[in-house]
Amino acid sequence: MSVQSITRKLRHRLKESGPHGIVPLLIAFGLFLPGCGLIFDAVELVQPLTRDEMSAICSRGQLRVGISVEPFRPFVFPAVYTDEGVRVTGLDVELIREVADALTTYCGGEKPIVPTLHLTRFRDLFIEMNEGHLDLFVSSVGGNIPGARPVGLWFSIPYFHNGGIGAMIQRPEVAEKVRAQFEKQAGSPDTLAAIQSGLSGLIVAAQRGRTSHLYAEADLKNIRLLLCDSLPAAIEMRAPPIDVVVSTHAILDYVTKHVWPDWRLLTRNDGTPLVLTQESFSIVTVEEHRRLQWFLNNLLYRLEESGRLEHMRRRWLEEDYAPTRRAAMEGLPFEVSKVPEHYDQGQCRFATGR
Amino acid sequence: MSKKDILMKYPVLLFISLSLVFFLAWSSIAWSQAPREEAETTAQHLAVLLNVGRLIVDRNQTLINDPRKGDKGFSPEVFEHEVVNEFIRQTHMDLKHLPSHLPSLAKEVLPLLLQSSREVVADAQLVINQRGIGYKNFIPATFGSQAARKFSNHSHVKIKQTALNPRNLKNTPDAYEETALKRLATQPTSNTSVTDWIDNETTLRALTPIYYSKDCLACHGNPKGILDISGYPREGAQEGDLAGAISIQIPLKSQ
Repeated sequence: MSVQSITRKLRHRLKESGPHGIVPLLIAFGLFLPGCGLIFDAVELVQPLTRDEMSAICSRGQLRVGISVEPFRPFVFPAVYTDEGVRVTGLDVELIREVADALTTYCGGEKPIVPTLHLTRFRDLFIEMNEGHLDLFVSSVGGNIPGARPVGLWFSIPYFHNGGIGAMIQRPEVAEKVRAQFEKQAGSPDTLAAIQSGLSGLIVAAQRGRTSHLYAEADLKNIRLLLCDSLPAAIEMRAPPIDVVVSTHAILDYVTKHVWPDWRLLTRNDGTPLVLTQESFSIVTVEEHRRLQWFLNNLLYRLEESGRLEHMRRRWLEEDYAPTRRAAMEGLPFEVSKVPEHYDQGQCRFATGR
Repeated sequence: MSKKDILMKYPVLLFISLSLVFFLAWSSIAWSQAPREEAETTAQHLAVLLNVGRLIVDRNQTLINDPRKGDKGFSPEVFEHEVVNEFIRQTHMDLKHLPSHLPSLAKEVLPLLLQSSREVVADAQLVINQRGIGYKNFIPATFGSQAARKFSNHSHVKIKQTALNPRNLKNTPDAYEETALKRLATQPTSNTSVTDWIDNETTLRALTPIYYSKDCLACHGNPKGILDISGYPREGAQEGDLAGAISIQIPLKSQ
């Protein structure tokens, strides 16, 4: 029997058995291939063995969402106790509800898709996502700052545009120093140059791993950079005394008004808040979840188009409200993942290697 | 033989017959009364225990809301220990070794309420032990709501915190509770519960009043209508005003 006739016979048998017949054949063939990944890929090409991420969410009835345990008010408020148990609330939590509701409709609406919140340290969100423990995460994460997108993760279109990096101070002389630099530039405003000169030699705090940290590392060369585990840790720091805290402008705007009235926003000479750079917030998922990515982008576009996102932004950033009451009314329960039993806001340490 | 003769001849027989009739009638009443008394005693003890839990949370409020401390040490074990001691002080009964004369229903449900209360404190540990966060809304009212709900989910006996104008709509009074609360509101301050048997005497309803203390007025006092720390409008209450009640429902048939 010639090789040609064997090949012909094999082709004929495959035609008869259809795509289902190819699977066992490929598996048998794959046994001779070096590396299991090749077998898997070959079988997947003919007949996918695994369901896509959207079907997995639908069949699970759960959307696994990561959220930061460090508070980023008003996006994520600290967890509080309510009549319904422990709850977390904020703009990001309301957005998660929207995503879960849209997924319920996508999955046929027979059973609701329940968002299961994993309250995790901010730095661990990226690890949890990469390890496949989460479907997505939302925690006022900026996606357009250089270095903010770790490999393997995907960032959605923005749900919040005015998330520029701002600064807050306690002592008026710091503001005077920066303003003096702006005055020197009469006629040709250059925020970066003014900030670089104005903050030169000062102790500037930023939360480790947040975009403000990346900004300070890249653009504020002559400062003494203090890296803190959380924003409250920076506020609590007494020695050495912090001159400036850089963080998301919207967060600083909220906390200076409602949480730490001893601190104030660093402003320009005309009194408008000083924004160091623009950033926009995105929902994050893994690179491979293409269907989920399209779903999220389409949903965010629809929410923007309908004015729903704008309503949410106004509701959390401009309205006068008590977060505890909102937590009781609309907050979400959560699972504690990788959070120490006694959650500590952490410490601050000077950045090394600068 | 005339009737008079018979009566004269058998006085002992008559006495015995009458005694027997009286005994049977009395014992039948007493037999039907026993479960009712048991239910009423049980309801009374349950209300005391839930109130004691609320009191312990209230006593530790400054500690719970201390933003400078991480681990507050207010663990489920510490909470339980304080509850047991306070319950002994108030009732002379040790929840860990309940007296034998206690109704069997009480022996069944008191440990269950203690366990439910302990679980609530355990669930709240992450919130309680957050450092840098002051007010956490773990207060007597939220503790009580959750403890009552957890308990009711595991028992045929139902406990609920209620008020005429509750902040949490799930605590809205039913028709019976509303009437009883209105009655309590017009009466002078008293620790006596309102108890009634409803549904053809098959279900015990008991309402134990809760009055505003000085500590409560920070959130529930004046100025009326101004939002308190948790975002609810203050009620404009005075010390000693009726805050609400612990409502207990025990169906007799299910026992």
